[in-house]
Amino acid sequence: MIRFHPTNQTLVSFAEGLTAPNESLLVSAHCDMCDQCATRVAALVESNAEQTFNECIPSQADHALGNMLDAILSRPEASLKRKVIPNQNLLTIDGKEFHLPASLQRLASQVGDWSHLVGKLWQAPVSLGGKNLANFIYMENGGGVPEHTHIGNELTLVINGSFEDELHHYQTGDYLSFNHLYIHTPTSNAKEGCLVFSIIDQPLQFTSGWAKLINPLSHLYFKVSTKL
Amino acid sequence: MLIGIPLEDKKRDTVKPKDCAAEMSAYLGTVASKRCKVSFSKVFGYFAPRLRSYALKQMGNEALAMELVQDTMSNVWQKAHLFNAEKGSPSTWIFTIARNIRFDMLRKLQNRKEDVCSDDLWPVLCEQTADPNETSLDQKVTLEQVGQYFENLPLKQKAVIEAIYIDGKSQQEVADELSIPLGTVKSRTRLALQRLKEMLREYD
Repeated sequence: MIRFHPTNQTLVSFAEGLTAPNESLLVSAHCDMCDQCATRVAALVESNAEQTFNECIPSQADHALGNMLDAILSRPEASLKRKVIPNQNLLTIDGKEFHLPASLQRLASQVGDWSHLVGKLWQAPVSLGGKNLANFIYMENGGGVPEHTHIGNELTLVINGSFEDELHHYQTGDYLSFNHLYIHTPTSNAKEGCLVFSIIDQPLQFTSGWAKLINPLSHLYFKVSTKL
Repeated sequence: MLIGIPLEDKKRDTVKPKDCAAEMSAYLGTVASKRCKVSFSKVFGYFAPRLRSYALKQMGNEALAMELVQDTMSNVWQKAHLFNAEKGSPSTWIFTIARNIRFDMLRKLQNRKEDVCSDDLWPVLCEQTADPNETSLDQKVTLEQVGQYFENLPLKQKAVIEAIYIDGKSQQEVADELSIPLGTVKSRTRLALQRLKEMLREYD
């Protein structure tokens, strides 16, 4: 069962279309997997709509709107066709396949190559544009990310499997938001490992042992990957 | 010829969205099925002024507000066939379109470079079927189309399929060439063929 959800405030802003694009993407993907949040968002949208149009307006004719109506009706048909971009609903890592939530399917066709990081940890960058780093990260059974904190904010969605850190156990569908106060060592003990999608606005800062030593290197990994 | 505005028109229009939902659904239906301009002007007459007032509050700029109204109502006119009264009311559908357009407008205005668009998040305006005109044609699956599906395969599967079915290599040869286990070649081949089959079935 999904235990971690976006905050109520986040859902309210999302329903109004006011969350930042990256955050919106993760909230939307979470809603694809979580009926509870999807239902809540649908209800929020409905009440927003009701409120928006529940307004008294003067009913005399309006020239600007009249002209607009003519312009719309005389526009060539189908001038608004949207490009259909091939979506990919499966993500493959080393022969294993994972089903992706609908909101991430278009992006999945832009995933870079998987690279094997430290230990049993895999990473594939997604070119999102902007300053943010987006990655699919896959921890094999027994694999994990060395202890680290977060310089900026990290939003993570568990796509498949489960992992744990010092405090919690996270599973498929969980929506996680980590900030600089949170130091942890995620590891996956799930048989099938764990696939997550994560967006960070700054590289991770490793805090312990040998991982700290290679920090410049991993920094490079995470940084370089966004330019792909 | 100029006609004076009759007195009763100065009343304010106070119809609530809930009270006219059934009526508006019916209008959207005739817009979709008959491209009925009269029905559309009814929908426009109700929603456009309200949308403008919402947009003005949200964007704080008359020109942007009008752009939002025009884009939204153009989509309503051209995409009325995507409205489904069983899934929600006309006001929810139109609000969603406006909200999406505003999301994309704000993203451009703020010069945000993220490649995230409202269609990813709230695909209300994405065509469910490919194209109504296309499906009515009796088309055959051509090699070219299989080629398109082939392009949709994950890179690794594509490479294996290409080597085996186009270059005519054996699975063992492919395994040696890519330095991956034979089992992986086999599973990638199987998954790729399965995927192609699925895509063809979806087409049917």
